Amino acid sequence: MPRVWAAVLGAACSLATPSTAPGQTTATLDLGMSSVRYDGFLRSGAASIAPSVRWDRPGGYVTGQGAYLRFESGNQSFQGTLTGSVFTAPAHRWRGQILASVGASSYATFASFHQTIGEARVHLVGERGGLWIGGTAGRASFGGANRPITGLAVAAWAQRSGVQLFASATRAFVGDTAYSDIEAAARSQRGTLILEGYAGARVWSRGGGRGVYGEGSATLTLSGRLALVLSGGRYPTDPIRGSISGRYVSAAIRLYSVAPRRPVMRDLPWDRSPAGSDGSVGSAALVEVLAQGDRAVRFVVRVPDAILVEIAGDFSDWRPIPLGQGPDGVWEGVVRMSRGVHRVAVRIDGGPWRAPAGARRADDDFDGEVGILVVP
Amino acid sequence: MRFAAVLALTFATQAQAQEPRLERLDSAARAPVAAVLDSARAAGLPVEPLLQRALEGTIKHAAPDRVVAAVRRLAGDLGRAREALGVSAAPAELEAGAAALRAGASPAVLAQLRRARRQPLTVPLAVLADLVASGVPVDSAASAVLMLAGSVRDADLIEFRRAVERDIALGASPATAATADAPTSLNATARPRSAAQPRRP
Repeated sequence: MPRVWAAVLGAACSLATPSTAPGQTTATLDLGMSSVRYDGFLRSGAASIAPSVRWDRPGGYVTGQGAYLRFESGNQSFQGTLTGSVFTAPAHRWRGQILASVGASSYATFASFHQTIGEARVHLVGERGGLWIGGTAGRASFGGANRPITGLAVAAWAQRSGVQLFASATRAFVGDTAYSDIEAAARSQRGTLILEGYAGARVWSRGGGRGVYGEGSATLTLSGRLALVLSGGRYPTDPIRGSISGRYVSAAIRLYSVAPRRPVMRDLPWDRSPAGSDGSVGSAALVEVLAQGDRAVRFVVRVPDAILVEIAGDFSDWRPIPLGQGPDGVWEGVVRMSRGVHRVAVRIDGGPWRAPAGARRADDDFDGEVGILVVP
Repeated sequence: MRFAAVLALTFATQAQAQEPRLERLDSAARAPVAAVLDSARAAGLPVEPLLQRALEGTIKHAAPDRVVAAVRRLAGDLGRAREALGVSAAPAELEAGAAALRAGASPAVLAQLRRARRQPLTVPLAVLADLVASGVPVDSAASAVLMLAGSVRDADLIEFRRAVERDIALGASPATAATADAPTSLNATARPRSAAQPRRP
């Protein structure tokens, strides 16, 4: 236990250390209605209030999540978790991470659950994917009974064109209970819609239940700081937090403290067909904007089967500049730009003008997007 | 009224005569854009960004009224940026300031930046716009840029922006994806899970 608290303290101290890289705080509040049927019980309705707060800074974060549910019976449930994480500086492709979390839950007149968990992970990070392995230690208590928690987890993840994929395997021991979870998860964001889901199987279990489970959710942004969240599925017994397996459907209104971020995409599916056509000709293209000396910017577009690739911007009076074709579907061009902020767009084979993926994108006032470049 | 219309048309005609690039615009947009350019010039605002916005709309085949509306909107943003940054602000600073305002920064933040930094504000304003446009809360982005703007070089600010994007923007970088979204059954915050779901009978 002292080691766990040392990890918590270390994480907190590290995050609180003054630095030139400041953090930011974001929060959400979910107000929802649920219908839930726990295994062995009748279906019941519940109203829920679930706030969450997240503080990010380079190299770490702290999150706090809570949930209050009031069931049809009048019984009430409270849950809360506080998690902190810090990362080591990258060493080539390796990176370490320490997580610590504390949480508690209570329901009606039952004894409350408390848990304190520390975890260490080692990441192998690639450009669009990675692996990590982690070990967990902690303690869970139910009423006056304390149970040690240990675990080992290995996971892999990949990121492709707005879709994040995960897979993990976990072996956990909670007192006399032992179980293994094998899970796969996916997250996709397209415009105002975020789809998330995971599926898993609990196997090699002693006292933790068995079977398959899975949950899914759709988050539709209704306006800048308001979203509709629909979710449902089945989840397994959680011996750490004291919840039993069940099924549920839920609808909630989510309020954001700030507008949700649009992910920065490194690779975009490009529609190379002319504007107004059916867009049947598609190809993956990657644009790199590389600043060179003397305020020259080199554009690199990788699109294997293009016939013509052009760039245009305020630096060219918005006249198209054809890029030169190199080997392996690479198109390049160097453009001199004055110091300041520039707007730029790329066109492939006479298709619509698009923001290059290597630049920040902004609404262009013409129902499209434009790339923003800063030349210092 | 008729005199004013004639006067405006005269000015617009003069502006077109002085700026051959206006000939690239759709004929329906040419005169209104020229009038906006002339008004901006008379007000001491930079006209090049306005002209560039019109040319951008033209190359993107935007309807003439959309082109004119975009140019007018930018002129308004440039005017607000100058109010915040002062009459001595350089054209590039005004353009960057207009982008920051459009992204959600307040005029007060722009004025604070002006007071905090003696060097040109173009890059700090662009970084501020980048951060805000990426979803970083305006207050956080402003305090970050303000803290750095008084003492660091432009290149450092750009590197700072990259670092923030890399480490903070969810889903923006492999490292973030690995840390913010990687699943494990021992960490309730890691796996996709609706905060509103019921977890306990």
